[in-house]
Parts: sequence; structure tokens; C-alpha cells
Amino acid sequence: MNWGLFIPELYYLAVCGILLLLSMVVKPNPRRDLVSVLFFAALGVAVCLASVRLEGTLFAAAYRVDLFSQVFKVILAVGFLLVVSLCTELNGIDEGHHLEFYLLLTTCTVAMMLLVSSVELLTIYVALELSSYSLYLLVPLRRGHDAAVEAGIKYLLVGTSASAVMLFGFACLYGVIHTTQVAEIVRVLPGMLGQPVATIGLLLAFCGFFFKLAVFPFHFWAPGVYQGAANQVTAFIATASKVAAIAILMRIVALSGGGDAYLVKVLVTLSIASMTLGNLVAIRQKDMKRLLAYSTVAHAGYVLIGLLSFSPSGYASTIFYAFAYLVMKFTCFLVLVKVAADGSDLQIAQLAGLHRRSPLLAMALMVGVFGLAGIPPTVGFAGKFLLFTAAIEKGHLALVFIAMINVVISLYYYLLVVKAAYLLEPDEDRPRIRLSAPITLLLWVLVTVIVAAGIFPAYLLEVADAAARALLGL
Amino acid sequence: MIVPYGHVLLLAGILFVLGLVCAVARRNLVMVLLGVEIMLNAAGIAFVGAALRWQQLEGQVFVLFIMTIAAAEVSVGLALIVRAYRRTGSIDQNTYDLLKW
Repeated sequence: MNWGLFIPELYYLAVCGILLLLSMVVKPNPRRDLVSVLFFAALGVAVCLASVRLEGTLFAAAYRVDLFSQVFKVILAVGFLLVVSLCTELNGIDEGHHLEFYLLLTTCTVAMMLLVSSVELLTIYVALELSSYSLYLLVPLRRGHDAAVEAGIKYLLVGTSASAVMLFGFACLYGVIHTTQVAEIVRVLPGMLGQPVATIGLLLAFCGFFFKLAVFPFHFWAPGVYQGAANQVTAFIATASKVAAIAILMRIVALSGGGDAYLVKVLVTLSIASMTLGNLVAIRQKDMKRLLAYSTVAHAGYVLIGLLSFSPSGYASTIFYAFAYLVMKFTCFLVLVKVAADGSDLQIAQLAGLHRRSPLLAMALMVGVFGLAGIPPTVGFAGKFLLFTAAIEKGHLALVFIAMINVVISLYYYLLVVKAAYLLEPDEDRPRIRLSAPITLLLWVLVTVIVAAGIFPAYLLEVADAAARALLGL
Repeated sequence: MIVPYGHVLLLAGILFVLGLVCAVARRNLVMVLLGVEIMLNAAGIAFVGAALRWQQLEGQVFVLFIMTIAAAEVSVGLALIVRAYRRTGSIDQNTYDLLKW
């Protein structure tokens, strides 16, 4: 067995061990903890980048390392680093629990890295559960918030029920198909769909993934959890964990090959329902995190458009969009964390006068939000354009039309946010927001990436294209 | 195989539905957790039945993993319920209504 293939996961596992030891041994010291975890996270990105070219299988072919999984591991490592860099004011979490907070973030990152490489039901299940349990514990860690405990309990109960349903689906599939290898299952499955057990099994199994991605009708946990969790945790759930869910769903959908007509119909319905409902409900949200939660539901719908094209260009555009989504969403959360520095929930009305309190934050928020809305020249526009083109190539004209109407609807509430930041006057004078030099730099980098990748998407698209080819084994 | 696979699947299905009803209908948080446990065990039975049907070990191994994860689920779940009980003094779901869904 070639352990070299497993280096990124082993690295993060070692970091978990170190953090676990530290959390038991040393006295809490927020500054030192943050600096050391930042160092580990930055080193982790380097490790993932260094292992991008690895290829092979591990653990009796239950675990596949290819360009697709490695690209997603880099994206996840970057997501982890970005979320850790948000933690300079970790006021939402008790000082004594900072190390545990970082530990759980790291276990969740390891689990998601395992998830993007899993090609067997057992590895998928274990990785999915490890990442979920880390999040179940991260949500109620928030200090002095009854809502956080409530969100944690609801998240746990709904999440474990969803995974029990998914597990029963796995059991049904295994009972009919004789194997737990996903590739083998999707090869045999189309001929088996006449059997009720196989169909039920497939539908139940998809429930679990749709739950993770917060696709309608499995989205109802998202707003409550987003609102109840500490701002940094919400940022992690909304960015990194969504990217991992997209990756595993893409892996499974891609393995099913050409795409059978029934599966396409299910995905089209879910996609339309998800984006329409997400966008319509987002309009009446007052809380910034809840608004971002519903925008996540809507984005899950857009991502499904790329998946249901079942074409290399569809997968490539989905990978591109996953990266774009991570950067744009993260920019919004960075602004949110800085404006609500005391760790409280941010109302949209509280954004009033932001352009005077901190012009840079207001500008970053505008760029991030315009990216999410898909306004040129941001990376969000390039991503949506690629997704829609891929779907049109496959003849899903009506779907793309509905998606475009949805983009217009979403523009309304995104513009409300920008309006609050730029045009509304605050009721009372709020102090200017001071930004440290690294955060200022990070904001500029993010804004540059969003705009530059929107104008020159070629390089990123090349990487996404290569990853999509690796996914399909071309 | 003495017991036909269909019967095992039927048993697992009934148990699964019982667990689901328990998880959805009961208002007591501990009972909801128990319902989820029953659902997990139903999946375990379906796996063991399938393993016996195919004469493979994969299904059996899967059940071992399910048991481990179910233990983790109970420990995390009960810890959260105890914390919630300390804060609010109740384990009735209806008292947890701060968040709109």
C-alpha cells in the first residue's frame, strides 16, 4: 500500500492529534492558539498543493486519489485557512474552548477530504458522519446563546435522521446489487430500477446528500443552524462543507455515466424548486446570516444545473462554480464577522452607513454580493454563464430560462444589502471599524480574485476541466 | 439461508418505519434520539440480511461501523440534551422555539 497518496489526510490527522493534546495540556491563550493553527492551516494548503498530481487507489479500491479529489482537497484546505483567518476576534466562543473549536474544525476538514476521495458506500458513510458530528458539536459551542444550543440539538436530530434514512437506502442497494463499490452500483443500477427495492434504496440514499447540500425539500435546517451558530462556524458550514457536498454528489452523479432520463427529471425538479424557493424566501429575511442561508439553498439549485448536464463541460463548470462560490460566500462572511465583531447576529439594517465606517468592507461586501448575484465582471457571472451554457448544450432551455428569472429575483435582495451598506443612514453614529493589516490585505486579495477570475477565467477553467476529465477517467 | 432475504428486509423495513414514527411524532428529545437509534439498527439488520444473501463480509463489517457511529451519536446527542436541559430545564421539543424554521 502506498501511504504517500494519503499525505494530505495524514497531515491534517496529525494536526488533529496535536490540537487534541494541546487542548488537554496547555492553558488557553487565544493569540498563541490562533497563530499556531494559522501556521498549520497554511502549511496544509502547501501540502495539498504539493500532492495535487498524485493518483491511485487505497484500501481495497475503497478510496480513490485522482486530480478531481486533489483539486477539491486544495479548495477545502484553502477554505479551512480562510475560516481560521476569520478567528482573530473569536468572541462568539468561550476563551477556554478555542482549541476545541479549532480541533473540531480540523476533524471536519479531514472528514471532508476523505469524503471527496470516497468511492465506496462505507467510506462515504464514515466520512460523512465524521464531518457531520464535528459540525453538530461546533454549532452549540457558541457562548451564552440559547438559540445556539437549540440549533445544535435540532441540527443533530434532523441530521442523524437524514443519515439513518440514507443508510437504510445503502442497505437496500447492497441487498439488490451485491456490492458496496459505487462505480459497480451505478453500472448495474439502471437495469435494476424496475425493482422497487432498488428505486427506494436510490431515493433514500440521495436524501442524505441533498440534506448536506441543503437542496429543497431538505433545506429547512439551514436557516436555523446558520442563525444559531457562531459567525465563524456559519462561515465554515456555508463554504467548506458545501464544497465537499458538491464534490461527493458530483462524484456519484458522474459515475452514473450518461444519465438516465428518470434521474435527470428528478434533478431538474429539485434544481428548480431549490432556487425558486431559496430566492423567494430570501427576499423577506432581516438577518444577514439567514439571508445567506437561503442564498445557499438557491445556489444548490444552480449547482444541480451543472450536474444534470452529465457532460464534461457541465462538470468542469460545476467545479469552477464551487471555487467561485467559496470565495464569494467567504468574502460576505468576512465582512459579516468584522462588522459584528462582538460575535452577535448581524441584521441587514445594521449595515447602514458601512461605507463611512469602513469603505473597504463596504466595497468587499458589494463585490461579494454582486458575485453571488452573478453580475459581470465577477467570477460569479463567469460561473453562472458556464453552467447555463453547459445546460443549453444539452437542450435544457426551459430550465435555463427559469434559472435566469431566478437570477433576476435574487438581484433584488442582494441589492437590498448593497443599498443598506451604501445608501441608508444609520439611526445612531457607530464607530469606524478598524482593520488590521493582514485582514486588509486578505480583503484586497479576495476582491482581486473575484474580479480577476471573472475577467480572465481561462486558467481556473483549465484546472476545472482537467479535474472533470480525471473524474470521468478520460 | 434459512430465513429468506425478503423476510429480513420486511423486518428491517417495519423496524425502520417504527423508528421514523418515533423520531417524528414524539416530543421528548430522548425519545427522538431513541427513534434515530432504531432506524440505524434497522439499517444494520438489512445489511446483515444482505451479507447473508450474498455470502459476503462487507455487510457485516458495515454493521460494526454503524454500531460505532451510533455510539458516537448517542454520546454527542445526550451531551447536547443535558446541556440544553441545564439551560432551559426541559427536554420537551415544544419549549425549543427560539428559531423559526
